[in-house]
Amino acid sequence: MCLAIPMQVVEIDGYNARCEAKGISRDVSLFLLQGEPIIPGDHVIVHVGYAIQKISAEEARSAWELYDAIL
Amino acid sequence: MHLQAKDYLQRIQQFSVPQRVRILNVCGGHERSITHAGLRSLLPKAIELVPGPGCPVCVCPEVDIRLALALALHEGVLLAAFGDMLRVPINAESGEIRSLAQAKAQGAAIVPLASPQEAVALARQHPHRQVVFFAAGFETTMAPVAAMLAEGVPDNLAVLLSGRLTWPAVARLLDTQASAFDALIAPGHVATVMGAREWNFVSEQYQIACAVAGFTPDSLLAAVYSVLRQRLSQPPRCFVDNCYARAVSESGNLQAQRCLDQVFEVIDSQWRGIGVLPASGFALRPAYQAHDARLIFATQQRAIAQAAPQDMPPGCACAEVLLGQRYPDQCPLYGRRCTPHTPVGPCMVSDEGACQIWWASGQHAA
Ligand code: SF4
Repeated sequence: MCLAIPMQVVEIDGYNARCEAKGISRDVSLFLLQGEPIIPGDHVIVHVGYAIQKISAEEARSAWELYDAIL
Repeated sequence: MHLQAKDYLQRIQQFSVPQRVRILNVCGGHERSITHAGLRSLLPKAIELVPGPGCPVCVCPEVDIRLALALALHEGVLLAAFGDMLRVPINAESGEIRSLAQAKAQGAAIVPLASPQEAVALARQHPHRQVVFFAAGFETTMAPVAAMLAEGVPDNLAVLLSGRLTWPAVARLLDTQASAFDALIAPGHVATVMGAREWNFVSEQYQIACAVAGFTPDSLLAAVYSVLRQRLSQPPRCFVDNCYARAVSESGNLQAQRCLDQVFEVIDSQWRGIGVLPASGFALRPAYQAHDARLIFATQQRAIAQAAPQDMPPGCACAEVLLGQRYPDQCPLYGRRCTPHTPVGPCMVSDEGACQIWWASGQHAA
C-alpha cells in the first residue's frame, strides 16, 4: 500500500493539483508539500491521492519503467 | 532491464561471499519488485532476500477487522476502507462472514477506496449517515490520513485508525533474532516521509548494514550492492546508505511529519502475528476525538476485545512469514488450500503480502 507513482502537475488550485501520468488524470492534494514551491510541469510522487515528494523528471521516467513492467 | 541494474549485478557477482548473507526487506513494494523482476535468481546463491513485516493490511489486528465488520453489519455505518483490506480473512467459524468483502456481498454498506479524499467525498454525499474510514497503513499512508483530518472533515466522518510505524517492527526482529539478519533494505516511501535518518539505529545499535531503496531493479540492486560492501569490508563498516536519493532526504518530508504529529500520538499497538510492539501505532489526539471511531463505538470495541479473537487462522504461517522466519512456499498450505482465490491468511490477500506476491509472480512450486 506504500505504492506511490510519479505524476506530472498540470494545474494548481490552492492545495489541489490536477496531475497526469500515462494519460490518466487525477486530483492530487499538495497539502503535504506545503511550503515547497510547486509549479505546473513539476513531477511529484503520489500516494493515495497525496503528493509526498517533489522529484526530478528523470526519476519520474525511471520509476515508470518499472511500473510498466509490473502493473 | 535498466543498464545500471546490470552494472550493479556485475559488481555483486564479483564479490566473494564466504557465507550466507540474509538481507531483510520490510516493504511489500520492495518484495513485489524483487519477485516480479526475478532478482533472487540473478543473485549469487549465498545472498538471501528475505521478506519481513512489510504488509500493513497483514499486520492489522483481527479485533480491528471484527470491529469494522460489526459497524458495517449492525450499526448502520457506511464503512470505507482501502481496497486491499476488503478480502483480508478473519478466523470465523465456517459459514460465518470472514471478510469485509463477504459482508459487502451480503448487503453491508462497505465502500473500497483509494484515497482519504474519497472518504471525505463519501461523507459529503451521505450527510445523514455515519461514515467510518477504516484506515490501515504505514507512515506513508498515515501522513495523508493525518492531512485529511488536519484539513478538516465533515462531522459525520470518523476514522477507525489502524496505522503502524515500520521501524519498531524492525527493532523487534533485530532484538529477538539479530543473528538471523545481516542487512536491511529500508523502505523507500516510508523514508521519503520519515527521512533516511530514522534507520540509523539499525547500523548504530545493531551493527547491521542498511540501505534505503526505491522500487526499480537498479535502486534495489544498488541497495543490495551497498549492504554487501558494508558487510564484506574488513572490518565490516555499517551505515545507512541512501540508494533512493532522488526521493529520500536525510530528514524526510518535514511537513508530513508535522502533520502526523499534530493529528496523531504514537501508542503501543498490536501487530497481527507479532504481538504488541511499544510505540508502534497511532491514535487520534484529543482535538480530533469527535472523529475517532474507537471512542464513538467504544462499547462495541470493548465487547469485541473481550471475546479475544485469535490471531492467524489455524495452519497459516503468516506470522513466521511476517517475521522473516519462513518463505511463503515453506507454508504447508501455500498453493494447496491457500491461493489468492481461497486465501487462508492475510498474506495471500494483500498486494503487499509476501504469499500473494510470490503466487502472483508464478512461484507455484510449494
Ligand atoms: S500461504 Fe496462506 S496460509 Fe500459508 S502463510 Fe501464506 S497466507 Fe498463511
